[in-house]
Amino acid sequence: MANPTDALLRYRPWRGNLRGPLNGSWAMARVALRLMFRRKLFWALYGLAALIFFFFFYGQYLVVWIQLQTANQTVSLAGLQVRAGDLTRFLDRLALNGSAHTFGNFIWFEGYIGMIVLALAGAVLVGNDFHHGSLPFYLAKPIGRWHYVLGKCLGAAAFVNLLTTIPALVLFVQAGLLYDWKSYYLEHGREFLGILGYGAILTVTLSLLLVATAVWVRRTVPLVMVWAGVFVLCRMLASFLVDGQRLDERWRLIDLWNDLYLVGLWCLGAEWDSVRPVDQPQPWEAAVVIGLVCAACLLYLRRRIQAVEIVQ
Amino acid sequence: MGQPPLIDLHGITRTFGAFTALHGVTLQLPPGRTGLLGPNGAGKSTLLKILMGLIEPTSGSGRVLDQPLGGDRDSAANWRLRRLIGFMPEAEALVPGLTGIEYVGLAGELYGMSRRQSQRRAHEVLGYLGLEEARYRNVEEYSAGMKQRVKLAQALIHDPPVLLLDEPTSGLDPAGRDALLNLVRELGTDHGKSVILSTHLLADVQAVCEQVVILAGGVVRGQGTVEELCARRADRFKLRVQGEVAKFRDDLLGEGVTVLADNGHGELRVAVPAGWSNLAFFKLAGCNDVVIRALVRDDETLEELFLRTVNA
Repeated sequence: MANPTDALLRYRPWRGNLRGPLNGSWAMARVALRLMFRRKLFWALYGLAALIFFFFFYGQYLVVWIQLQTANQTVSLAGLQVRAGDLTRFLDRLALNGSAHTFGNFIWFEGYIGMIVLALAGAVLVGNDFHHGSLPFYLAKPIGRWHYVLGKCLGAAAFVNLLTTIPALVLFVQAGLLYDWKSYYLEHGREFLGILGYGAILTVTLSLLLVATAVWVRRTVPLVMVWAGVFVLCRMLASFLVDGQRLDERWRLIDLWNDLYLVGLWCLGAEWDSVRPVDQPQPWEAAVVIGLVCAACLLYLRRRIQAVEIVQ
Repeated sequence: MGQPPLIDLHGITRTFGAFTALHGVTLQLPPGRTGLLGPNGAGKSTLLKILMGLIEPTSGSGRVLDQPLGGDRDSAANWRLRRLIGFMPEAEALVPGLTGIEYVGLAGELYGMSRRQSQRRAHEVLGYLGLEEARYRNVEEYSAGMKQRVKLAQALIHDPPVLLLDEPTSGLDPAGRDALLNLVRELGTDHGKSVILSTHLLADVQAVCEQVVILAGGVVRGQGTVEELCARRADRFKLRVQGEVAKFRDDLLGEGVTVLADNGHGELRVAVPAGWSNLAFFKLAGCNDVVIRALVRDDETLEELFLRTVNA
């Protein structure tokens, strides 16, 4: 008599409905997130990002508490008597008051952590597909080249949003609850849209840049070097040219991170002259630079993802 | 009504600049197990890409499973075509960091299956291919044989009617090779899959396939069943003779026999024409006062036939 278990090890046919190629892009995004969160090496950075969030979260609460409860009194901090005004002076620099700069600064800090993680994870997400020959696995399936790029970008985008936009929205909600929530949410609608806008710009730019550079260099060390060049060296050069050599403020446009910050602050509705350091280009000029960078990445990807690599 | 051919190609030509990879390939293959044999540079890879709708032929037309060939690789028609084909690439094509079940499940979702269906199906297919105990290990930790089986699993997950296997036994030891070829043959005989096995190893084709197509220099040099191919092998004999060897040899040449080798000491290797009777050797020997000491069959191997066909 046939063992029922035998049937389990036989090949069984399958019949079902197959979905479109976007289903594959979404699966690729989930796999990308899974690969990034599995890397124990990155958990320290995730911890740092969480610390930054909790700092802002607690900082906002602390500022309001001090202002409401202890306007002219001293407070005990680590056994020391400190004037409340002196304590908030430090926190005021981070503008922990539910304003546009609060969310702009938060996304700036968190985005930097995200940018570091992406630089380290780029080889895992994309470079390995070329280095280990995984590209035939994807492109031999019924998906287009752009679905492949979309899937990779979605993975990076989901990660950036988990680090920046979503926590920023939590801070926005918290700020409303700390102040008069009816008036806060009504009066600060621009900040809400600005968080989404800044997050979107950061997401699109970083994910396209990541995929393009990872396709180009493929390995972690060269990828880190390229990103260090773009986000660190260019930043230092821009500061030297504008702040040191007193050249035209448009030289700061070579600092892509600053460009993203300017456009983000514009989305959040912050005053242009409140941006620090001073001597900044116009937000529209920064937006043009970001657009050019994204377009260059797309053109490069269009050329690089070829079907002829599928069968050697 | 007869079954439509699996592959029906008419005058398929493909050029890459000045180089012509395929010259007017015309081919009709019935469903079943077919070997695509050819040396490196024969045009096998180009033909596979055309069959999968990844590149367009420069001229000619064709159909695969009644789906027309041609058009942009990202067209809906070519996606439909790739849904009908399970492709096992020669390249490693693994995604480091994923377990076997995740890798095969991802393949299912890329084909269009829902997440739940692909996970369930991945367990089934990995069990069938003997990887049920290793399915939660990372694919980069697999042995060479396991890697080939997991690649076969990702080609099988959506139960396609056609399997396209590119050098499936590459890197395997003899036991692993036999096991994999048994699986492939079983998929063809017991489960009705049409298999196209692209390889330069004649032994793999002999083990699995019913039909063989020999491709060389971008041209189909031979096509038929394995039996038909074997029948084309030249009949050869080794003879050891004593006596008037030179005259005996001349008489053999006069009867249409080709002398392949003569060591000058009465040992000859000859190829006889179709319909030759062994008695003719003895008749000629009797006429020339020659004694035949040994007469041994030494037929052309399939490898020699393959090389003769390829080099023709």
